[in-house]
Amino acid sequence: MTRAAAAERGAAAHLAHAAVLAGFGTLVFYVTRVVPVAGSNLWTIATLGFLLLAGTLTSELTSPLGLPHLTGYLAAGIAAGPHVLRLVDESTLKGLSPVNTLALSLIALAGGAELELTTLRRGARSLLWALLVQTSLVFVVTVGVFYAARPLLPFAQALAPSAAVGAALCWGALAVTRSPSATLGILSQTRASGPLATFTLAFVMASDVVVVVLLAAVIGIARPLLEPGETLSFGAFAKLGHELFGSVAIGTTLGLVIAVYLRLVNRQMLLVLLVLGFGVSSVLEYLQFDSLLAFMVAGIVVRNLSRQGRKFIKDIEQTATVVYVVFFALTGADLDVPLLRSLWPVALIFAGARAVTTWVASRAASGIAQDEPILRRWGAAGLVSQAGLTLGLSIVVAREFPVIGVPFRALTIATVAINEVVGPVLFKLALDRAQETSRQPAVSFPSMRPPPPARPS
Amino acid sequence: MNTVFVLIGLLLLSYLGSLLMSRRPGGGAGLPSGVEYAALGFVLGPQLLDLVSARDLTAFEPVVQVAIGWLAFGVGLDFGVAEDRRVRPGSLALGALGTLITGAAVTAATWWSLRNLPTDLTATGRLLLSGGIGAACSQTTRYAVRQVADHRRIRDRPLSSRLDEIAHSDALVPLVAVAALFAVDSPHIVTLSMPVCQWPAITICVAILLAGGAALLLRSDMVMEDTWGILFGVALLTIGVAACAGVSTLAASFFMGLALSSFSRHRNALRALVAPTERPVLLPALLLAGARLDFRATAALPWIAAAAIGARVAAKIAVGWVLAAGLSPLRKGGPLAGLSFTSCGALGMCVGLAFALRFPGVIGDTVLAVTVLAAIVGEIVGPAQLRRVLLAAGELDDATARTPRPRRVTV
Repeated sequence: MTRAAAAERGAAAHLAHAAVLAGFGTLVFYVTRVVPVAGSNLWTIATLGFLLLAGTLTSELTSPLGLPHLTGYLAAGIAAGPHVLRLVDESTLKGLSPVNTLALSLIALAGGAELELTTLRRGARSLLWALLVQTSLVFVVTVGVFYAARPLLPFAQALAPSAAVGAALCWGALAVTRSPSATLGILSQTRASGPLATFTLAFVMASDVVVVVLLAAVIGIARPLLEPGETLSFGAFAKLGHELFGSVAIGTTLGLVIAVYLRLVNRQMLLVLLVLGFGVSSVLEYLQFDSLLAFMVAGIVVRNLSRQGRKFIKDIEQTATVVYVVFFALTGADLDVPLLRSLWPVALIFAGARAVTTWVASRAASGIAQDEPILRRWGAAGLVSQAGLTLGLSIVVAREFPVIGVPFRALTIATVAINEVVGPVLFKLALDRAQETSRQPAVSFPSMRPPPPARPS
Repeated sequence: MNTVFVLIGLLLLSYLGSLLMSRRPGGGAGLPSGVEYAALGFVLGPQLLDLVSARDLTAFEPVVQVAIGWLAFGVGLDFGVAEDRRVRPGSLALGALGTLITGAAVTAATWWSLRNLPTDLTATGRLLLSGGIGAACSQTTRYAVRQVADHRRIRDRPLSSRLDEIAHSDALVPLVAVAALFAVDSPHIVTLSMPVCQWPAITICVAILLAGGAALLLRSDMVMEDTWGILFGVALLTIGVAACAGVSTLAASFFMGLALSSFSRHRNALRALVAPTERPVLLPALLLAGARLDFRATAALPWIAAAAIGARVAAKIAVGWVLAAGLSPLRKGGPLAGLSFTSCGALGMCVGLAFALRFPGVIGDTVLAVTVLAAIVGEIVGPAQLRRVLLAAGELDDATARTPRPRRVTV
């Protein structure tokens, strides 16, 4: 087949897929108008199905533009969400929140299982310098930008200078966060391998721990600034220590159990992953441990202390791809579009400042660590994304400091929305340019010969 | 107890069950219909230990709808195909005729018993109850014959092949009946005025349209993950829309699977993809079906069950005579050869469960309870009679007939 014919065939297929997607959308739209489905548990099922379809098809339709699948999932979610086509309402989104729990646990497990200690040891110097420079520079600059941009923020204008510093510190801590889910999502789609993919994954997973510690410190420092009468207290560190060490201990145990299971039984992994994603997550939440850290450690243990790592990653990938589609589509649907519309100029300033600082910090850290050219050039691209982790931590800040809670969280949502859309595109672009994206065709749906004819009567 | 923990507990139990029933060389455990899972669910449920409370059952309703819908989708994909071959038109006709006779007999017997028993049911209620029991009890498990044949290593023998084909062709009638019965109540939910008789047609048309969309999407060679996304997405959309509209989830999913199997050139690959998911979905569904069991649904339950099961057994014997007219080897099995088809599959229990969800109270609980009792009777009678028939037809010898063998739960 000639290239032109193939392109024509591809265009026809895309057209057909777009038509089918429109057909499914029309059906859902029609049903929401004739059946009183709002808040119904059963409608959650249809919503889940539609988001899965819409995400899968939109990602396929946007892929010729060079956009990552993740962007397609997000776009499908935004379009179907309560602020655009209203095919999915807020109560349904809330009903689907267990999918997020499952997705985050799978993301953390997969992220940990991708980290090979021997490879990390080779790049330890780069990683340490990057963590140090990125964290400190992004934190300092974003604190400064927030403080300087006070006149643009109605809620910050009302704060005393010291309280504004406290709010800026909290903002800086959130700016340091990255998105393990977006990183894993892109790596899962591109099946990229190489220094950039390894570095980005290791950095993002490690920065998760750094951010948790940093936020605890910031909350301790910001409390007397934001709440006059309160004194400087680092009591949160005792709790944090318990949380971190407990999470690592539980994660290690869990990893060993998974490794033994894979070695001895290795069956029904779908059920095992569901039990891990829902059951173990609930237990960890009950015990007030950090489930993301615990699952990440479990993944690292399976990968590095057993021979089951590859097998485990394959098992997770088989289950996780469908879960990722729904997770990112839900993230898109949850995006507060009206809020973004009202706050986008300020959010754009903050997102831009963070992105530029991340790039400068990346160049500086790469220079100090004498990284290879690929990392120097593209190292920052994977560090722009922000998503669920940032939003989760913004809830913590809002809960700790009700005086800035609601507007602070709104600003975070608006900024994360920009980073969430731009970050994955940049990361995929970098992986493509660094030639780390897998060129082997993905396992495709097997065409099978037609069934044999019926037996003669 | 936390609902999530209950769900995880049920998943773990199902997992242990599936391990027990694994087909290892050393053998395994378990009954073909999986009725023991329903029994375990009953013990854990609100009627006995209350570890799975009534509140949990309400919370699990979407999960159960998805489970039974997915199973029906698998049955639809596999309908009319036995051993990767399309079944002969004659077998399709015989399968449909058999379920029609059995379903009609059970419905009539139940209707007659309801008319003569003191119940508070209206005429519509009696229709739903008798029709529901008729639909749930009419079918024979798809693998009733294949399981015995596989474990006795019978391959390509005329009688077992023909019986296998018939068993793979009898899901159509009960699911059409379910679609029709569910339509009786649908117009109350949806803000559309439409004659009751049009609802089954709507159910089937929507399912076929969705399947057409899925087949169109699956035409090109897609990445495996995208294939899963489309299959699972279309199935969930069908289940959700059907459940919200109050039409039968089971029927919609079945026809979606059937239409997809007809439209898609990848039908064999689709079956191969979906088949391994059957067991992990089925076992929790059976546990939850058991947990919903309420034998105190009505004081008339023993009489209704006796009438329905008696009619079922009699109808299966009659079906055996009809089959024997065309299948000479079956005549050697004697006048009771039709009892080989009394193995009531988990699909029957899914029908019962669907009724329990759609018509909670006397109707749903009674349909479910009678279905489980029919499955127990089928478990006792069916496989033994089938072995006797195959032995008489010379497709099984005495030595292999006595060999203990592993079994597995199938729909």
